[in-house]
Amino acid sequence: MKWFRNTARVFRQEWKVMLTDPGLILFFVALPLMYPIVYTLIYNPEQVRKIEVAVVDDCRSQESRELVRQASASPAFALYGYASNMSEAKDWWAEQKVYAILHIPYDYGKKINQMEQAHATMYTDMSLLLRYRALMSAMSSIQMKLASDITTERIQALGAESLGVGMPVQTVSHFLGDTQQGFASFVIPGIVVLIMQQSLILGVGLLGGTARERRRKNFGYDPLGVNDAGALAQVWGKALAYTIFYIPVAIYILHYVPEFFHLPHYGNPVDYLLLMFPLLLASAFLGQLAVIMIWEREFVFLVVVFTSLIFLFLSGLTWPRYSMSPFWLTIGDFVPATWGIEGFIRINSNAATLAENARCYIALWLQVLVYSFLAAMVWKYMVTKERAKFTSSPATAQ
Amino acid sequence: MNIGIVDSVKRELRRMVTMPMYLVFMVLCPIGCGLIFMSLLNAGLPLRTPAAVVDLDHSELSRQVIRNLNSNELVDVQYKFESYSDALAYVREGKIFGFFIISRDFEKDALAGKKPTIDLYSNMTYFVPGTFAFKGFKLVAVSTTGGLAAAKLAAVGLTPDQITALSVPVDIDIHGIGNPWTNYSYYLSPSFTFATVALLMMLFTVFSITVEIKHSTSPQWLMTAKGNIAVAVFGKLLPQTILGIIVCFLLEAVMFGFLHFPMNGSLWWMLVATVLFVIATQSFAVMVASILPNPRFALSVVSLIGVLTFSFGGFSFPVEKMYGAIAAFSYIVPIRYWFLIYVNIALNGFDVYFVRFYFVALLIFPYLGMAFLWKLKKACLHPVYIP
Repeated sequence: MKWFRNTARVFRQEWKVMLTDPGLILFFVALPLMYPIVYTLIYNPEQVRKIEVAVVDDCRSQESRELVRQASASPAFALYGYASNMSEAKDWWAEQKVYAILHIPYDYGKKINQMEQAHATMYTDMSLLLRYRALMSAMSSIQMKLASDITTERIQALGAESLGVGMPVQTVSHFLGDTQQGFASFVIPGIVVLIMQQSLILGVGLLGGTARERRRKNFGYDPLGVNDAGALAQVWGKALAYTIFYIPVAIYILHYVPEFFHLPHYGNPVDYLLLMFPLLLASAFLGQLAVIMIWEREFVFLVVVFTSLIFLFLSGLTWPRYSMSPFWLTIGDFVPATWGIEGFIRINSNAATLAENARCYIALWLQVLVYSFLAAMVWKYMVTKERAKFTSSPATAQ
Repeated sequence: MNIGIVDSVKRELRRMVTMPMYLVFMVLCPIGCGLIFMSLLNAGLPLRTPAAVVDLDHSELSRQVIRNLNSNELVDVQYKFESYSDALAYVREGKIFGFFIISRDFEKDALAGKKPTIDLYSNMTYFVPGTFAFKGFKLVAVSTTGGLAAAKLAAVGLTPDQITALSVPVDIDIHGIGNPWTNYSYYLSPSFTFATVALLMMLFTVFSITVEIKHSTSPQWLMTAKGNIAVAVFGKLLPQTILGIIVCFLLEAVMFGFLHFPMNGSLWWMLVATVLFVIATQSFAVMVASILPNPRFALSVVSLIGVLTFSFGGFSFPVEKMYGAIAAFSYIVPIRYWFLIYVNIALNGFDVYFVRFYFVALLIFPYLGMAFLWKLKKACLHPVYIP
């Protein structure tokens, strides 16, 4: 009972500290409100369209012009111009006027008319895989379109209509979740979860570092803290204060951001909010754990900011988790955002239920347990050390 | 003539030795991050996407299609289901990233010329696995149809050449220049590693300057340089510049030497670009610290910019396709120019002539860093700390 009273006291005290720290308001309010909007604006064009391409047409026939016409009609393709030869096209590429070169050899039209297989070549810039991906899928659909047109003519010419024209099997592709294959629709649901974790850790670390500065100046006691509460009451009281403060922001990020920008948003709010509660709590404890490295308020930037990139990679958003080595897979398991991103994407974009993502939910609660104990140990260790400095050596201090 | 450079450098070296965090953040963190990225992406391509097949036909032909699917390296058929909803449930649980449905009476319809259907489902909420599942499925579907068509044409006595000309009359070959393997590491590791280096370097430069103001040691720092702020900043940053360059060269040695990343152009110009990039990044941080000589404000600004560069730097989504007002931001950070130089020299193998403007851009940053030093000097003489 006393433990609950102490936790409540810590909660109330920390709440007051939170509201009076302008730095914390920046991390807990301004940053999570702004970042998702900025990120979505960056990726909102969704698709890479109209990539500038140079054409080198050595054939100059009706057939080659038809190929270029077909390519120009594709959304991925923007005809920059006809180059007189490959070396002119290469110069355009080096000057970054074009990102690909379509080369049609001299015998292209002849081969089509002689009922042989005709060839064309596309050289693409590989600096960004999105451009390559867009051009590649455009070219393969043009190839299919030409195939069905030309094959029809050829079969008629052979007098073999009885065989049935075209492909004997029909293939239909369906894209789940992100049906338009847009980049923002894919990346934003994952990024926002990471933003939640990182802004929480930043804010918690900032407050923790500030408290350490205060304790150093006050003989190991925090004038703005509850000094007689136990370690677990300390970390739980604080973590609950941070988490509850953050809930309205979390609802904005998880519900309103996808709505504003018409991103995929199919899941049940109860499911994803329940999933996110342990994520917030685990992050609040992880932040208190990080305080051991943050002996000054501003140090939180150095310790926390760059870890976002590592956590992004470990989460499997850019590189799938099933392709990671067991070592990195295990490290990733310890990051709340890994489970949060996985679960939220499936609930939000694939309309999964919380039950179907029980694994993520359980993992997050396990992290809450483990990190709360570790955070309590860290608190105990820091405070003992800080107070020992003042109590053990009164003689030398004089 | 003693203008205090040597004393300033000495003072900074003393600070470095007494604070272990210097070495941790300037050496261990950037090298660690770089190695983490490269180790994670070491496979180059994420093959064997977990997938499933729903076979509603159970015929010889459908089993043949499944065998083809199993032999494709892009997908790994781990489950066989009897219905669409079973497969979809596994997608929702994240066990598979796509599935392939072979319709009922597939073989019968195919032989009767009735055009049966193969349905491909790929989960695009994870871009890379979704894309690879789709690609693998599509390849198998196309080769299956092609095979069926070829068998029919062969039955009426056409030659293999005629069959090829009929089924694929136009063949468009795609060559990815510089990275024909579509290796993800070649494309992600350099940009992400060096953007992380830039982020850490900016944070550390700003911290080491503004912490003097926070602890009111800035007047003494300025005094070491005989009151000349340019000398003070130069003396403070020189050891960090040297460490930064060494760290970047080490990372490049790992990439181009040890891991054999493509280096199709001049390595020397790449190294020159790296030196300029380190100095430009520090200069950018000096500019921020001069305009906002408060640790929290300046660190917030460089964190914001440093983290957002990973997005508006155009390392994955092309800058020219972003909204203009956002694309403009990509040109205010040095890493963008380093990235463009890397892509054009190392990957594409172009002559340095074609990237001359990016070198010029990197050379402008030091002037920006110097432009606001007067403001930093004022703040150093009368240090005010706002928590």
